[in-house]
Amino acid sequence: MANQSGQIYGLTILSPILEGDTLDIAHATALRWYLASLPRDHTSPFAQVSSTHFARLVVMDDVVFVGAPAIEEHLKSRYLVFETNFDGDLDTYLTRMAKEIPGFVDSVWKHCVGYPGVADPTAFGAYMKKCQIETTFFFADVNNKTVQQNLKALQLQSALSHFIGQNQGKPAAEIQKSFGVLMQHLAKAPAPLPGGKDSEKTAAEDRPYDR
Amino acid sequence: MIDSAKTASTKIDVTDIQGFALKGYNFPYARYLLLELCHVNGARDFIGQIVHHLTTGERWDEKPVSTVNVAFTFHGLAKLGLPEPTLLSFPVEFQQGMKARGEILYDTGKNGPEHWEPVWRDNRVHVWLAVNAQTPAALEEQGALLLQIANQTGGAALLQAQDAHAIFIDGKPTTKEHFGYTDGFGNPDFKGAERDCVPGQGKLTADGKWEALATGEFLLGYADESGELPVAPIPHLLARNGTFMVYRKMHQNVATFRSFLEGQGRLYPGGKEKLASKFVGRWRDGTPVELSPDREDPALVADNNRNTNFTYGKDLNGLRCPVGAHIRRGNPRDAFGFNGELVNRRRIMRRGLTYGTYVPEGQPVRDEDEHGIIFMALNASLFRQFEFVQQQWIEYGNDLHQGNDKDLVIGNHGGRGKSVLQGAADPQNPPFICANLPNFVELRGGDYFFMPSLTALQMIASGTVDPR
Amino acid sequence: MTNINGKAYAMNAITPMKPWKTPILRVLFFVLGAIKPLQSGLKNLSFIHFARWVIIDRNQFPHLGPEQPQEELQYDYLIFFSNFNGTWNQYIDAFSAVLSTGLNAIWMWSEKFPGSVPVTPFKSYINQVQFDTDYYYNAYPRAATNDVKAALRVQDAFTDFAKTSQTLSPAEFEKAYLEFLVRVQADLGSTGMAPVGT
Repeated sequence: MANQSGQIYGLTILSPILEGDTLDIAHATALRWYLASLPRDHTSPFAQVSSTHFARLVVMDDVVFVGAPAIEEHLKSRYLVFETNFDGDLDTYLTRMAKEIPGFVDSVWKHCVGYPGVADPTAFGAYMKKCQIETTFFFADVNNKTVQQNLKALQLQSALSHFIGQNQGKPAAEIQKSFGVLMQHLAKAPAPLPGGKDSEKTAAEDRPYDR
Repeated sequence: MIDSAKTASTKIDVTDIQGFALKGYNFPYARYLLLELCHVNGARDFIGQIVHHLTTGERWDEKPVSTVNVAFTFHGLAKLGLPEPTLLSFPVEFQQGMKARGEILYDTGKNGPEHWEPVWRDNRVHVWLAVNAQTPAALEEQGALLLQIANQTGGAALLQAQDAHAIFIDGKPTTKEHFGYTDGFGNPDFKGAERDCVPGQGKLTADGKWEALATGEFLLGYADESGELPVAPIPHLLARNGTFMVYRKMHQNVATFRSFLEGQGRLYPGGKEKLASKFVGRWRDGTPVELSPDREDPALVADNNRNTNFTYGKDLNGLRCPVGAHIRRGNPRDAFGFNGELVNRRRIMRRGLTYGTYVPEGQPVRDEDEHGIIFMALNASLFRQFEFVQQQWIEYGNDLHQGNDKDLVIGNHGGRGKSVLQGAADPQNPPFICANLPNFVELRGGDYFFMPSLTALQMIASGTVDPR
Repeated sequence: MTNINGKAYAMNAITPMKPWKTPILRVLFFVLGAIKPLQSGLKNLSFIHFARWVIIDRNQFPHLGPEQPQEELQYDYLIFFSNFNGTWNQYIDAFSAVLSTGLNAIWMWSEKFPGSVPVTPFKSYINQVQFDTDYYYNAYPRAATNDVKAALRVQDAFTDFAKTSQTLSPAEFEKAYLEFLVRVQADLGSTGMAPVGT
């Protein structure tokens, strides 16, 4: 199935955007401004729909004219491109969008033609599928782990790296005991939030050379 | 993919190219005169006279006692009255200058311009006028002569004379630097350069041999490794046979390094020298770790057919040479697969020299004492070559699969960060982590320079550079 | 617009194709999908999290209602989406250097494609056909795909070692721990922020 690689689903949606002569601000413009205002970290709507690995929204104004002798042509509508890579099946994902981030979905897709709202997740799902474009070729470097599995692994990698450095040169029995403690720690630790922390908060940690 | 066998052999006009770009002189003394240009006519006059003293790339029957070479910052070229469109055709990074590229290069914090020597802080350095000499007397004589010309023409004022010299041990010049490592291996071979190919210095061919790199990686006006002429300033005559140079004064915190090595060396089962070899990928005597991970090998060091003739393809996990070792970061060879193709356009030609008084091991030394390396590297594209290596392979590690970990020896660590030295399941050679790394090296200034051909210099001196 | 989130870059590119060429490309993609070794180049470059190509026939643009005009296009369109690590220049340099045959096979059907070698005209073309992302979300912004894979390998090793780590004698533990270290030693790079885009 071209939309799928392993257990990752690659969804591509092109939703035609409403046009209108009587508007102060075009739907596409308002949509752009809205998207620009959204957080992109752990408070992102896609962090909420936590099966999302990577997602993007793009207001596609037109096709590209690559220059003569190619023909110049134009789209009659603008399209909202939604490209997302997530765990699991499509129906579950669309239902989660409708149920868990309805405000966001409304704010985005209200600008699009034929949007039925999210009150009825089935209708919403059907609408989105009408806008779905089949992926022709999908490449996924890691296609067998969920977002949570990746995050847990990253958490473990960081903790272990720190542990190894801290315990270098210590007597074996001591390391063994500390390792047991580490194992318990990691088993109990909650999975890190998807989306990462606000970059401001990690500035000091990431730019140590600024001290 | 470019079929090397079919490409024309490159004939380069060595008398038009400055010698510094074509060969390492290996003279033990140098003085870099950093000059400010005064006004356009005097400046052109000055260059017009200097040209007669320049050392080109022509073959020497007998080595001269001293050499002279010159290069300009963007502001220097502007002061020489090059037309505006010409100036604007220079690469963006050269126009901006190295200081403005600080975010890209990780020249922040301790390496930031606020810590640089004043001479480098305000774009006043216009000219790098370099004397390399065999003796201190020759150095003084040539230096004085050049300054006399500057005075007579009223074209240039001396901002700083940066001296550099090889470290002498037992009265003989060495290629050692202040941390005790033997430097100077592995400069890239390129087509048309006079010297013989040294195995390991060029690029890998499909059948595992070594071949010279395309000339255009190091000189403008010649085809480069991607099958085109490198992006270059216009007009062609101005750019051709020229190249770009980065100059960085790298202060070395010798006390910190020595005490770090002592302390960690006590914890490391293989001992201090072995640990030191893992930081760099060469033992301090120059033996490459990849070929000889367990001991120094003077015969190997002395043999140019072997001392840089190795690949990492069979050591992808770093058991022999750690994956993040300095020379492996600077030139990953085939470590990324694809027979080294991803590395061929990231090579730089190094010409550095140490400065400051050498303090032998065991004698007291202070970080703040003046010692370090004047690092200079030549390449056709600062952005694609030097800046890339600095940003992606030295101050970052993703391509080497080392995440955000930096080069242990020269990275801008700020007291944090770590380096993993891979090893074996052998208690004498175990994996070892060095953490909480300090800055062993600090940047004290520098800039980007354009090193023109002799033809270009004549054009600049006579004010006959026209825009296209 | 935001093309970058953490270590990932969201590239979008759209190119026109004469409709008679589209079926050829579809077959090519089918072959590419069926023959795994053809994907090995992408895997070995190891700087793409996810990427996809989407062919939209000229009649296939979604039409949702009478108020929306029907598209009347002469070209089919190939859209490319990539989530990659590294800078824009680095990414394209690498593709041009080692995957040019594959790239050419995919894009040669697009109008005015200049070939992926040499790299300067190729970058020029991409500049023309790339369009920018308005909103980009990344679930693990501090991790490149190399970091994710390294972490997964470390986790496997940890799980294996943890099974017996507490029941060994100290001497046995010492030996097993050393072997464990060797197993994970190349995969311990720290995660964090990406270098600035250039």
